[in-house]
Amino acid sequence: MSKRKFVVKSGMIDLINFAKMIPERKAHLENGPLRRVPATYPINELAKLNHPGKMELCVSDIIVHSEDVKSYILKAENSNKKLAPFRAGQYLTVQLKIGNSLVTRPYSIASTPNDARKGFYNITVKRVPDGFVSGYILDNIKIGDKITAFSPEGTFVYEPIRDAKTVVGIAGGSGITPFLSLAGSIADGTCDADLVLLYGARTSKDLVFKAELDELGKNDKITVVYVLSDSKEKGYEKGFITAELIQKYAPETYSIFLCGPKAMYEFAGKEIEKLNIRKKFVRFELFTSASKASQIPGFPMDKDGLTFELTVRQFGKEKKITCLSNESILVALERAGIEAPARCRSGECGFCRSKLVSGDVFVPSNTDGRRIADIKFGYIHPCSTYPMSDIVIKID
Amino acid sequence: MSKWDAIVIGAGNGGLSAATTFAQAGKKTLLLEKHNVPGGFATSFRRGRFEFEASLHELCSFGSVPGMGNVRRIFEELGVYDKVEWCRIPDAYRMITLKDPENYDVTMPFGVAAFIDKMEQYVPGSRPSMTKLFALGEKMRDTGEFFGNIKGFDGKLVMDILQDHTDFIRVASYSSNEILKAVGVPKKARDIFNAYWCYLGEDTDTLSFVHYMGMVERYLSTGAVCAKGRSHEMSCAFQERFEELGGTVYFNSFVDRIVMKNGRAIGVHIAGRDEIEFADCIVCNSSPHNAIGKMIDPKDLPEMAVRKTNARKFAGRGFTMFLGLDKSPEELGVTNHCYMIYDTADTVYQRKSMNTIEGNNAQATCCLNLAVPGCSPEGTTIMYFTTLYTEDCWSKVKEEDYVKTKEYVANKMIDNFEKATGAKIRDAIEEIEIATPATYARYTDAPQGTIYGYNSEPWDGIVPRILMTGSDDLIPGLYFAGGYGTQLLGFGSAYTSGYQVANRIMKKQEKGERI
Repeated sequence: MSKRKFVVKSGMIDLINFAKMIPERKAHLENGPLRRVPATYPINELAKLNHPGKMELCVSDIIVHSEDVKSYILKAENSNKKLAPFRAGQYLTVQLKIGNSLVTRPYSIASTPNDARKGFYNITVKRVPDGFVSGYILDNIKIGDKITAFSPEGTFVYEPIRDAKTVVGIAGGSGITPFLSLAGSIADGTCDADLVLLYGARTSKDLVFKAELDELGKNDKITVVYVLSDSKEKGYEKGFITAELIQKYAPETYSIFLCGPKAMYEFAGKEIEKLNIRKKFVRFELFTSASKASQIPGFPMDKDGLTFELTVRQFGKEKKITCLSNESILVALERAGIEAPARCRSGECGFCRSKLVSGDVFVPSNTDGRRIADIKFGYIHPCSTYPMSDIVIKID
Repeated sequence: MSKWDAIVIGAGNGGLSAATTFAQAGKKTLLLEKHNVPGGFATSFRRGRFEFEASLHELCSFGSVPGMGNVRRIFEELGVYDKVEWCRIPDAYRMITLKDPENYDVTMPFGVAAFIDKMEQYVPGSRPSMTKLFALGEKMRDTGEFFGNIKGFDGKLVMDILQDHTDFIRVASYSSNEILKAVGVPKKARDIFNAYWCYLGEDTDTLSFVHYMGMVERYLSTGAVCAKGRSHEMSCAFQERFEELGGTVYFNSFVDRIVMKNGRAIGVHIAGRDEIEFADCIVCNSSPHNAIGKMIDPKDLPEMAVRKTNARKFAGRGFTMFLGLDKSPEELGVTNHCYMIYDTADTVYQRKSMNTIEGNNAQATCCLNLAVPGCSPEGTTIMYFTTLYTEDCWSKVKEEDYVKTKEYVANKMIDNFEKATGAKIRDAIEEIEIATPATYARYTDAPQGTIYGYNSEPWDGIVPRILMTGSDDLIPGLYFAGGYGTQLLGFGSAYTSGYQVANRIMKKQEKGERI
């Protein structure tokens, strides 16, 4: 730049304009309107409606499918309050106080997004052998009981931009619920997709929601195929959900969505591999973490069955409890009645992210949903982490 | 009842740097965050086999030694720099227009000389004016650095500015385009030079020259960086450093009330908890609109705090689409890290079109793999597409139309990207996530989902804001850090504002003034 000073309009005008800036801004600020500054905005209210955090619900009805499977119709305790909207395939995390324990469990929502707009959710609970929470719910929860739940979460949803036009749903046991929601929203026109549902069960008596599915199957966009492993019955496929069976019912391009018990993931997972389809067309909903950690590949067997001390720091306070090498740290927290943040219970969502201050842990690689920096800076997801020594964690 | 030297509300970039600055000076500091992760918008999230960067495109004012930018200097001074693995951004930007008569498709490099050379290729004859412009820009940078490094504000400072920064004073009151025209930059070169405008969210007829030129000059002269572990790594690094220095962080702690006594902010109440945390001073990383609109009892508010808050105008509300793709960038035909895609290079027209969901065709698109090689598995790509809404148009979207509206914008972004670049991305989408203004509102409680703080109105640009630093305080004992502050929006600005406000408070204390 030349030695000559840079001038925009003229030396004097530039200086005057500069000198005017502060008084002008001061005047603008001081003459701001004297009315209440808004406490909220429509978009922030929509965000709160979509993600209210905790919701106080009550059981308005119970549908008994069998002694071991019941559906719970949940409404807002305060009938003026809208329920959080959700997308078909998402889950609701229920928080329960059972004895001294404060536990959470995720349940896929079986009802449709439009049902939520009308004011209710349906979650279906199936008895898990030796299950702490499912048994409690099935045997104790009555109509009129209050239930605390967290906003719907989850990514097991149909995304038209990403997924094929046809979803091949593979369902087993209570894994049928997200598909019931999806089928319902296809039928009512909220979701524009085709669904081929392969629903596996042992016998036709084990098919929960069969009547509803038969009805939904009348829709041109929905095909329901029942696959029975233990009995040969007319009008049903016999056997397991194999690659051949998928090919028999699927069109040329499709997305596979799978939700079911652990055994089904193991079997169907291998069958899906045989189909050699791109990862983008295969989605699993993971719910069940192994009840016993020592069954997980990679578990250090010399640590099987040990008890350790767990020091928990939260909001500047400290508490010492016991934990077991075979149980996730989250279970130890819940047993001690500590309110620990948690949602998905399968390592994925990150709501339970906590700092591991000291100690050794085992994190199974298939459920390690941590961020890169969280691993670097020593964070864990207690729902999918097992203590291997005395440990100290900070959970706030 | 605990007594803190300082409480910082919100662990966003401004909150983290303010808290760490306090802790480094030995102040007993409590940092409160409503979320369970630090960073505010500076975070990441996982979907399938991808970990997405939530917001950062590139961090400027970093540079290398010597010639270190002031943001890097803050990272170094606070002991955070070495905790982060940094990656350099390869090139400045590629600007493509969809409907402009000039049909722009220009790729601009970092480095002032290289940038001027490239401009000369695109716009023959532009060299003399561009050279002149950057000489002026260098002076703006000196002044900007001077502002970025000041730790307090007083009368002496004004004298320093008047004596040592005369070129700054001459251009300070003008918009970017006014100066570009005064320097004689040809129209086409102005169009290309203005491409970064959407990073500041205001058109270049309005944007302060000092602001825009300062940013461009910093980007070009010192390049830009991002963190290998996404901006979550930067946030975690800050938090770890803060705790090493003796600071206390509580997550899942939403401050719903600022406690006042005799006109002073003296403490905060955390939702769902009994006790009140008291402190000598409170630094709020949430917006002044939230503090004045809902955290303080209206009867405790001075009239001027209300007037000053209501005078401000929100800047852009954010929208981002995140894609995980199952092909490599080469397979997709994605060759650049940063694409600016507009209907037109006319920034006034373009900005105006961003006031509706239908009209908005502007997008800043990043391919993370080109800055952070290996950020996703072999043969895959991470991209994110960001736009801003200059009005609160998303508030008109009904709940039942919300998902469909998200998809509408996402589809438009994909189509426009493919049309502009010739790359084929749609069929390779393995993961998609969409953040709307409602998402931003939920994540940080930002009013209307604003991600750019207060707009750079002609009267509320960076120069008068900086010059009026101290007099912007609204309530005794309460200070603000982050994108709503003197340095306006952006990662670097937010870090700087937190660092500056903490130092300003401590300087007042040293002088025995009431804080």
